[in-house]
Amino acid sequence: MNQRTQFLLLAFTTVTLVAILRLVRSGKLKAKYSLLWITLGVAMLALAALPNIADRVAEKFGVYYQPALFFVVGIGFLLLVVIHFSYELSRMENRVRTLTEETTLIRHELASVRAELDVRPDERG
Amino acid sequence: MRDVQSTVVIIPAFNEAQALPATLRELCSVRPDLDVVVVDDGSHDATARVARAAGVEVLSLPYNLGIGGAMRLGFRYAVEHGYERALQFDADGQHDPSEIATLLAPLDDGADLVIGSRFAGRGDYKVGRSRGLAMRLLRSLAMRLAGQRFSDTSSGFRAFSGPMLERFAVDYPIEYLDSVEALVFACRAGYDVREVPTHMRERTGGTASNRRLRLLYHYIRVLVVLGCSPRPARRPVPRAAEPAEAAAR
Repeated sequence: MNQRTQFLLLAFTTVTLVAILRLVRSGKLKAKYSLLWITLGVAMLALAALPNIADRVAEKFGVYYQPALFFVVGIGFLLLVVIHFSYELSRMENRVRTLTEETTLIRHELASVRAELDVRPDERG
Repeated sequence: MRDVQSTVVIIPAFNEAQALPATLRELCSVRPDLDVVVVDDGSHDATARVARAAGVEVLSLPYNLGIGGAMRLGFRYAVEHGYERALQFDADGQHDPSEIATLLAPLDDGADLVIGSRFAGRGDYKVGRSRGLAMRLLRSLAMRLAGQRFSDTSSGFRAFSGPMLERFAVDYPIEYLDSVEALVFACRAGYDVREVPTHMRERTGGTASNRRLRLLYHYIRVLVVLGCSPRPARRPVPRAAEPAEAAAR
């Protein structure tokens, strides 16, 4: 990995990390969703800042082209993030569904209460 | 006091404005003793209006949830309104109201879920070859998982006991082909599931929800769901046997 690659990676991960942290700070991104992203950012930063680690890890796992290690780590984390999203999405769908049932029942209830009130108009004062 | 347990007929309906009035008319004239609730599953046509005009209760969902979602809402309605049993009935008129008694009878006998089968002898319901094959495969899988033989796993003509209702009101397979999932789920959870032969007619209107790709998608989805369903801790024991066992100890 030459200096230029290293610099590029450092700049890229730093910018991404800062962007994520700012989103969390301004409340636009929930902290729980940022955790995986931040972990990914820090891991990438560490690998970029200390190329020795990258080299050693790459060698250990038989990766002959160090930058490929970044892809492996990156794709691995992306997979985790997407699975996390699917999980959250399923949960949300369940909640929306329950809410939908609830509103429908309440509307029905409201309509029947209204109908009941309408047959006794003199009680309205 | 009524000597019959209060029963509600749940009719899930999606764009069934055409067939629904006749279905409701027949149902209400044959079984005036039963309460009826139509769950309008976000229809684009006048389904809710024609149902209200027929004088039955109508629950109008704001968007389409799918038949399973509509049924779960129906179950919740039944539980919240204190019904002791419920019946699922098709809006398109393929079920015969005079068969309702056949379906309700096993409930008195302790059954929790009664399925009106199209293929168990009575009636002359026909399906195409590929659909028949798919249904057979699903049936054999459901049979293995449920540990019980069924001739018709996807029938939409079913009766539910009080305990089954309460369970399904919170925990019901919410998408299309819900009936198969519900069947396996009920068997595995130890509920008493039975099948009775019923006569069914051809559809009188509306479009069957059998667009090929969608059906295939749901079919595969159900295979995944069934494949992932946890093994039962032990073989479901028939309810009736339990007190005797307890007494023996």
